[in-house]
Amino acid sequence: MASDKSIANRSKKVRPKATPSRIQENIASKQAIVDREIIENEIVHIAETQDLVAADLPNHQVSVPLNLWLDEKKQIKDRAGKVAVQLAVDEMPEDLVDDLAEIDIVVLPFVNHVDGQAYSHAYKLRTRFGFKGEIRAIGDVKFDQLSFLTRVGCNAFELPDTENLETALRAFNEFSDVYQPSADGANLIFSRRRALH
Amino acid sequence: MYTYDSVDKTIVKERVAQFRDQVQRHLDGELTAADLQPLRLRNGLYMQIHAHMLRVSIPYGLINAEQMRKLAHIARKYDKGYGHFTTRQNIQYNWPELIDVPDILDELADVEMHAIQTSGNCIRNISSDQYAGVATDEIIDPRPYCEIIRQWSTLHPEFYWLPRKFKIAVTGATEDRAAVQFHDIGLEVVHNESAEIGFRVYVGGGLGRTPVIGKVIKEFLPRDDILSYCEAILRVYNLHGRRDNKYKARIKILVNAMGIESFRDEVESEWAHIKEGELKLHDVDFETMSAFFPSPAYEELSDGDERVNKWRQLDSRFKNWFDNNTVQHKQPGYRIVNISLKEHGVAPGDITDEQMDAVADIADKYSFGEIRSTHEQNLVLADVREQDLLDVWKALDTQRLATANIGSVNDMICCPGLDFCSLANASSISIAKQINDKFTDFNELYDIGEVKLKMSGCMNACGHHHVGHIGILGVDKKGVEWYQLTVGGDASNKAELGTRLGPAIAKEKVGDAVSDILHVYRDQREGEERLLDTFRRIGVEPFKERVYAEIN
Repeated sequence: MASDKSIANRSKKVRPKATPSRIQENIASKQAIVDREIIENEIVHIAETQDLVAADLPNHQVSVPLNLWLDEKKQIKDRAGKVAVQLAVDEMPEDLVDDLAEIDIVVLPFVNHVDGQAYSHAYKLRTRFGFKGEIRAIGDVKFDQLSFLTRVGCNAFELPDTENLETALRAFNEFSDVYQPSADGANLIFSRRRALH
Repeated sequence: MYTYDSVDKTIVKERVAQFRDQVQRHLDGELTAADLQPLRLRNGLYMQIHAHMLRVSIPYGLINAEQMRKLAHIARKYDKGYGHFTTRQNIQYNWPELIDVPDILDELADVEMHAIQTSGNCIRNISSDQYAGVATDEIIDPRPYCEIIRQWSTLHPEFYWLPRKFKIAVTGATEDRAAVQFHDIGLEVVHNESAEIGFRVYVGGGLGRTPVIGKVIKEFLPRDDILSYCEAILRVYNLHGRRDNKYKARIKILVNAMGIESFRDEVESEWAHIKEGELKLHDVDFETMSAFFPSPAYEELSDGDERVNKWRQLDSRFKNWFDNNTVQHKQPGYRIVNISLKEHGVAPGDITDEQMDAVADIADKYSFGEIRSTHEQNLVLADVREQDLLDVWKALDTQRLATANIGSVNDMICCPGLDFCSLANASSISIAKQINDKFTDFNELYDIGEVKLKMSGCMNACGHHHVGHIGILGVDKKGVEWYQLTVGGDASNKAELGTRLGPAIAKEKVGDAVSDILHVYRDQREGEERLLDTFRRIGVEPFKERVYAEIN
């Protein structure tokens, strides 16, 4: 049952304008790439609705919308399995800062991969807020986005079912060098050259 | 100039391999045309009306003779024997086949060139002053700073999918020839009171549909902090820039919506987190980079070569070329030579493979093997001995590259327009020709003096019409091409947007209208006034009256 209090956050906050169809239609990926390996996927990403409450969540591993997490942290933590929270592109990682120790997975949903806001979200989660858990990019995420998403801090990916994951693994080896630091601990090119002098 | 080390070479070669793989996956049906599109754009490859167009990066407009020969070779082997220099100092090829592009990029990589980020919503080529290092009014050579920013911004993982394209320009001279106030970030290299080097930072300038003059976000940024400060601006933009409407997605819209004060506060608070981190530059970084841009081995000479002076009196064509196309150099006995790519009847900025080869040879023989491209779509030989000017002139003239019209109304900036571009509403090249036809008498041209005429075939303003002393914008009215004129724009330090003259003008009347504007100027000018000065004194009305009196 949705209490007035439990939906307070949802009515106050700007809701995501769109989420990938994967979330809208509750389609679970069969496989995911985690830490550069193909694994069987267990997570179902739950779409936000006005009256969604933790008690209604299905009885297996899920990721929940940010607003549900903010409303019902305790109920979500008490569930079996990992705590996974979605952060849509128009939501801010600052909303999760105090909770990061309790969260295992932050899910970044891409409706369209050309919207790169979430790259800055991942970067901030890793470098500024020190998040050590999994950051999983899902939705319109394919081969050609994996390398830069990895650099900004994502370590898990769910690709559309049409994509060949074996092929996509090649993305991690396309570049053997970079110019600038990001969330991957790379040095600035000039500080490396400095060391040579 | 900068030469690649093993890191640069690795990155550029791996980038070519990546694109080759993307094209192959596309041909194999694994990568859709829609998914390939943003990837090919970030390698400079567009789909135009007739064919693909490949834009090759020329960082801050500097190339050497070997690279120019490679550009000629590519024009010959993969295109129709010519290239087109753009207003951002790059070169475009209008006819490459998709299947050939990985090979073209491979050939470019062999001479330390690439097409990375010459298109797409990411950080574009860094542009700068075409007279960097040789201008008499230079305070600090901007090129080492351009190269540092180029490397930091290349394949930056966080800023590769921005709301919109992002352009950075750097100047280090009293007179701004890089139009820094019309860039997303504009940097002016300056000294503070303690003679430390830093930057005055402008943000949110730009042309396009909504022309805006950049605002000063920081009066003095120490040079050590340039990368962290740019990163802070980019992060605020990436997080807060609009993505719902591509015409409101540039950083200028965000800066205007937030107000410069709030925008600055956001940037400063972001900057506080990263300022002392890995992006901090050290003195040795600047010393190392500056060593790539030494003054060439100049001879001890003095200004005023006798033979050149004699020929200036004997040959009026040479005199006109000397007076219009060469510029004073900081080193006595040397001149800066502008190569006009505005020959009558040729699309502004176009150059053939044979001409490119000739320019490379002339550069090798007379100008330390270096060439610059300018945002006014010409080329520059920066270090020519005065005593060689007659030979250089003859060599250029043989190649039809000595049209003595630099800075004149015939030296117009012009986008490719409807003839090539899929965005354009109207033709620009045919208008350029119409205006050229009006001003075939070069004495008249010289009497008129400096006029920056800039023309765009649509509102996207690739021809920078807003900042032309005379600006011409092509518009589409029910399938017919019309032209909107402005007067009084200025891309220099006194940045101004042009004032609209009145209703749009029919295609066949544009040349007459330009002629009318210049008649008013010649009737009303005082002393040494340029068109721009006369306009500032008398305002738009007299020009308007004359142009529309003729039309009505």
